Amino acid sequence: MVSRGQLTRFAALALTCGIHVLAGYCVSASSADIHPRVMSLNVCTDQLVLGLADHDQIVSLSNLSEDPGLSFLRAKAAGYPKNRGLAEEVFVARPEIVVTGTYSLHTTTAVLNRLGVRVEEFAYAQTLDTIAADIRRMGVIVGQRTRAERIAVEFERELASFETIPPGRWPSVVVFEQNGIVLGAGTLADSILKAVGFRNLAAEQGYSGMVPYPLELLVKDRPDVVLVSRPYSDVPALADQITRHPAIAALGLIHDSDVVPSGSWSCGGPFTMEAVRALRRLRQSMIRPNKGKEG
Amino acid sequence: MKPTLWAGLLGIVVVLFATSLLVGSAALDPATSLRGLVGQGDDAAAITMREIRLPRAILGVLVGASLALSGAALQGFLRNPLAEPGVIGVSSSASLGAVVVFYSGVAGVSVFALPAGALLGALVAVVVLLVIASGNTTTLTLILAGVGLSSLAAAFTALALNLSPNPFASYEIIFWLLGSLKDRSMAHVWVCLPLMAVGTLLILACGSALDALSLGEESAASLGIDVARTRLMLVGGVALCVGAGTSVTGAIGFVGLVVPHLIRPLTDCMPGRLLLPSALGGAALLLAADIVARLPWFGNELNVGVLTALIGAPFFLWLVIRSRREGF
Repeated sequence: MVSRGQLTRFAALALTCGIHVLAGYCVSASSADIHPRVMSLNVCTDQLVLGLADHDQIVSLSNLSEDPGLSFLRAKAAGYPKNRGLAEEVFVARPEIVVTGTYSLHTTTAVLNRLGVRVEEFAYAQTLDTIAADIRRMGVIVGQRTRAERIAVEFERELASFETIPPGRWPSVVVFEQNGIVLGAGTLADSILKAVGFRNLAAEQGYSGMVPYPLELLVKDRPDVVLVSRPYSDVPALADQITRHPAIAALGLIHDSDVVPSGSWSCGGPFTMEAVRALRRLRQSMIRPNKGKEG
Repeated sequence: MKPTLWAGLLGIVVVLFATSLLVGSAALDPATSLRGLVGQGDDAAAITMREIRLPRAILGVLVGASLALSGAALQGFLRNPLAEPGVIGVSSSASLGAVVVFYSGVAGVSVFALPAGALLGALVAVVVLLVIASGNTTTLTLILAGVGLSSLAAAFTALALNLSPNPFASYEIIFWLLGSLKDRSMAHVWVCLPLMAVGTLLILACGSALDALSLGEESAASLGIDVARTRLMLVGGVALCVGAGTSVTGAIGFVGLVVPHLIRPLTDCMPGRLLLPSALGGAALLLAADIVARLPWFGNELNVGVLTALIGAPFFLWLVIRSRREGF
């Protein structure tokens, strides 16, 4: 797959890159000042591209980029052509670089790689700590390093500016999404909750990733906050019924679907700070002595 | 014989109902559960029992009973041992109706929107099947028509859900084809209870007519039975029972097939007198299947429709094989 020439070039770049060890950086470092035309096949890379690339660099974005539940930059995405993540579409559009997620569209990525299209994959598992690196990496890919550096530094600066939350009784949270799916350990949401001083109850109980969480456990453990998600669409689905289950209402906890701005923590990006700020505000409003925990 | 059968069936239903209330991921001990059920003790137990487990157990009884009752009535009326709401496509048509009405959003997002389409879907299916079954048809004609109808309804259900702009809709195909009692609420109970009550009364009122019909339509008519009226009442009753149940739990198959066959040898084999015992047996079977579906053996919870199909489909094949040997 990789020729010797490419390897030597890679080795040379790796040396010049010095501290930057991520392969994605280095291979594309030589194209730093040109602005390649980029096509994104994944809702998370869509939003990194939107935040960094110039308008005429963007060939197309995934059709989820306008999804009200998943995409924070949905309004900005509206002005671009959309793709359905098909290899055929990539060939018709002929972008210089394709960006996508590691877990989405496995087969498409394999086909594109085999046919010699340059594909940059971004890890699906993101946390608050990976966001700045992802911004910088995307900046290098789309040839907008200065812009990316500025945004990444600003993100890191704001994250570092938050005071460390004093140890004590942190309020507990369960993020209860459609179909009773919970956001457990290792998710972006989990890292945000920890950063602002909440205990992610599902993660503590050994649930990791996005997994079903029994409604009975939610009732039994009585978290201080239940964050239910808003319906993804105006069109109904049974998936949303569980978030309106009378058992959750009867708990009488904070279970607000409006706390976290829609789409702000589905993907990691500069906008994820919106979710952090919103949850910090909620956390600060709970510093007062907790009421009604013992039932 | 009769009082023991009644007592036995009732006893089984009561035991399974109580077991159903005691099984769940919150692992409450029986004393806490009981206190929670009557609204005392700690809040969490009360909410778990009254808002989560009670509606689930009640729906197990209601849906199981109405499916088995419909199965017994259809088997008696059509004089066809393979007739059953699931096998002949009434359940999947009810699912299709519910899906079309609910996911189009015309009726809003409330659970009360669900039965409207399901009733219509079930009604259309029963009428189509009775038209096909009228005249001189074999047992097989009806079953084959049912297979066609249920495949068609399942395909349209999948199509309708795939066309929905809501990304979750396409994952709900499995619920509508292999139903579940998971996380239902009392609202679901209130949605289906009145419709099922009317349906059950309509079917039970046909009891003596079904007995007479076992001698053939002409003999029944000579005994003073209004066959057309009986047919109308059964169509309405089955559509109400199956439609209401399917609208809140999705299509649960084979309960109506298995139960009448298990109960029949314990009765005097008159179809009319099979109705109520079948209803009790259906409640017991669905409660039991739903308890097993919740056990942690399978990792995540199973759809109860998977279990009833695992029990029912081999049973169906056995009936087919037996019919080849003995003829119906």
